[in-house]
Amino acid sequence: MKAVALTILLAVSGIPILAGVGITLVEAADPAAWSTLLHFPGIGRSVALSVWTGAAGTVLALVLAHLTVALAGTSTWARRVEALALPVIALPHLALGIGLALLLSPSGLLLRALSPWATGLHRPPDWLLVQDPLGLSLVLGLAVKEAPFLILMLVGARAQVPVTRLMLQSRSLGYGRLKAWWVSVAPLLQRQIRLPLAAAIVFGVTNVEMAIPLGPVSPPPFAVVLWQWFTTSRLELRGAAFAGSILLVVVAIGTLAVAMSALRLARRVHSHYAASGRRGRSSTSIARTLAILPGLVLALASGAVAALVCRGLSPMWRFPAVLPEAIDASLIERSAPSLGAALGTTLALGGITVVLAVGLSLWVAESLSRDSLWRRRVGVVLFAPLLLPQMAFLFGFQWLVVRLGIDGTWWAVGWEHALFALPYAWGIVAGARSALDSRLVVTARTLGAGLLRAWWAVVVPLLSRSVLLAGAIAFSVSVALYLPTLFAGAGRVATVATEAASAASSGNLRVAAVHGAAQAIAPLIALGVAMLTGQSLFRNRQGVPR
Amino acid sequence: MTALRLKDVSVSLNGQMMFAPLTLSAEPGVVTSVIGPSGAGKSSLLAHLAGALPEELCAHGEVRLGEQRLDDLPPEERRLGILFQDDLLFPHLSVAGNLAFGMHRRSEGRSDRRRAIAEALESVGLAGFEARDPATLSGGQRSRVALLRVLLSEPRALLLDEPFGRLDTETRADTRRWVFDEVRRRCLPTVLVTHDQDDVTAAAGPVVKLQPGVKA
Repeated sequence: MKAVALTILLAVSGIPILAGVGITLVEAADPAAWSTLLHFPGIGRSVALSVWTGAAGTVLALVLAHLTVALAGTSTWARRVEALALPVIALPHLALGIGLALLLSPSGLLLRALSPWATGLHRPPDWLLVQDPLGLSLVLGLAVKEAPFLILMLVGARAQVPVTRLMLQSRSLGYGRLKAWWVSVAPLLQRQIRLPLAAAIVFGVTNVEMAIPLGPVSPPPFAVVLWQWFTTSRLELRGAAFAGSILLVVVAIGTLAVAMSALRLARRVHSHYAASGRRGRSSTSIARTLAILPGLVLALASGAVAALVCRGLSPMWRFPAVLPEAIDASLIERSAPSLGAALGTTLALGGITVVLAVGLSLWVAESLSRDSLWRRRVGVVLFAPLLLPQMAFLFGFQWLVVRLGIDGTWWAVGWEHALFALPYAWGIVAGARSALDSRLVVTARTLGAGLLRAWWAVVVPLLSRSVLLAGAIAFSVSVALYLPTLFAGAGRVATVATEAASAASSGNLRVAAVHGAAQAIAPLIALGVAMLTGQSLFRNRQGVPR
Repeated sequence: MTALRLKDVSVSLNGQMMFAPLTLSAEPGVVTSVIGPSGAGKSSLLAHLAGALPEELCAHGEVRLGEQRLDDLPPEERRLGILFQDDLLFPHLSVAGNLAFGMHRRSEGRSDRRRAIAEALESVGLAGFEARDPATLSGGQRSRVALLRVLLSEPRALLLDEPFGRLDTETRADTRRWVFDEVRRRCLPTVLVTHDQDDVTAAAGPVVKLQPGVKA
């Protein structure tokens, strides 16, 4: 039973990646393709842009995350940080990117709110605020999106670190609260999140979801160039696109290697600083000032959603009015007639993904409930799709589904979505399952419950909150996926993600906003429903795990 | 009730016996104590008797209840009650839900079951506790509910895995006396594993010491 469960899980996740990478390698073994790639005008600048924006965005996110967790850890709002980070995590990159573009552009919500009373502007200025050639708006977007993810990982890592004892120890040595956290707890937390941090760096360097609405256009970041080549009708660029995928992997690994040695250096410097013995002043006022930064992240994310909704709902929105003059839902239909169908497909795919990812995770977690070694191994294998640039295996996966005769079907897309949702669903469900006292199940069995009843009547209720959360996250992942949907769906499966991306890339921000708003709101609703249901279940039972 | 008999029973990990093969007969109404230092395999022995040995451990010997061989039965068909150091009440069920979990669904109807639960609770001074959240009970109250849950499931023998270790001194003596009284009253063959000398004294039954194992 364990072997069957493991095989199925690893096949779902492993086969597409192995096949994908294999095909990419075969297709890229063509000198002409490499020559086209390397002589393409602007390619060097594209690669440099990818490295710079991905690295800078992630570093900024990491600093923000540590700051937030330090501030939260030294005050009473630790629990709330998690609740505030989750909605931003559930927000798709693409929707957040489009929203930020609508918030920060010269005619965006931010300048409207400041005009004309503060800026004196009566019409949108021609400043290059988003899609700037240096990629600063892309860096900001990545930081806003990745910081909450790293925050959640750091909060999760607290369970592995004796936070309370370390803090007591350092504070009794005379350190202020913030300084104590910074010298004793933060380095240990950092060590726990290396894998998610690596995933964030790789995503930052190789993503198109945020680079399409926020990144520079001529030349665009390297991943966007490859995406253009993969989707163009000019077949002579196909080979170069495969060669480029390999180059992208190399670039990502290189960035990762540099980042990891930079972190090692930072740790050295940090331990010198910690060993200096300086205690620092009372840090309450500093803490209060620094608390603005996490607030700013949240404000930018909420502003982006507000801008999406305003722009999506109204045809008439003259500068510098903060709110649209007229809100007309019937116009949505006229400007984005495909919204209903795309939304239907999105929800159905989300449902399939939840069932596949959460169902498989529950099953395998049950059969590995007493096997921590294999649980860890499965976690590493399932994490692989997050560490590899999507571009490197998606086209190969498309080749595989064509051979299986399921290309362009919901089966193919659902499989692909499950692949990306599994690492999250597995992390939540398997973690909760292994935290469950195995003697509870033994007790149920000796009280006369068979295998199935013990699972259904004891394990499932106690995991229900984790299952709900895993479901909401799996759903959000599915709604957010753009490239995997495009490739596995062979361009024939239209979701709000594919519609929003194609509208954004052709510069039609209004249509992009309609689909982007739907894409942003669907995961938020799923998350809200999961959290409310989780709270109302077992409301009068304090012992049920959160 | 018939005796629980162990013949040359041991548990091994990677070919290494955790304790020397054990032969004993736990007679009805008598608490047989199995003692040994921590790490001697006491809990593994009970897990084996209950049918819940972790996969990586391997069991040897024979376990019988009367004439029935137990080793190859799944835990739910052995009908042995087990009590751990922690009460392990199901946190998502009320007190009554916990008690009903192990009750057999034979002919008696819902109202009979409810009456049986009420009577059981009353007999331990917890009348009216049916709807309570287990998390709101005191340690002593919880361990009483845990034992009631086992007894209502009508076990054929009782396994006690240091069940009084987590209780404070005062509650411990009371709970212990009450558990042992129930064992005698119901004539249950009982195996107690412990390293607490007071438990052994109060059990007032045969004492078996686990001897270190040898290479299998």
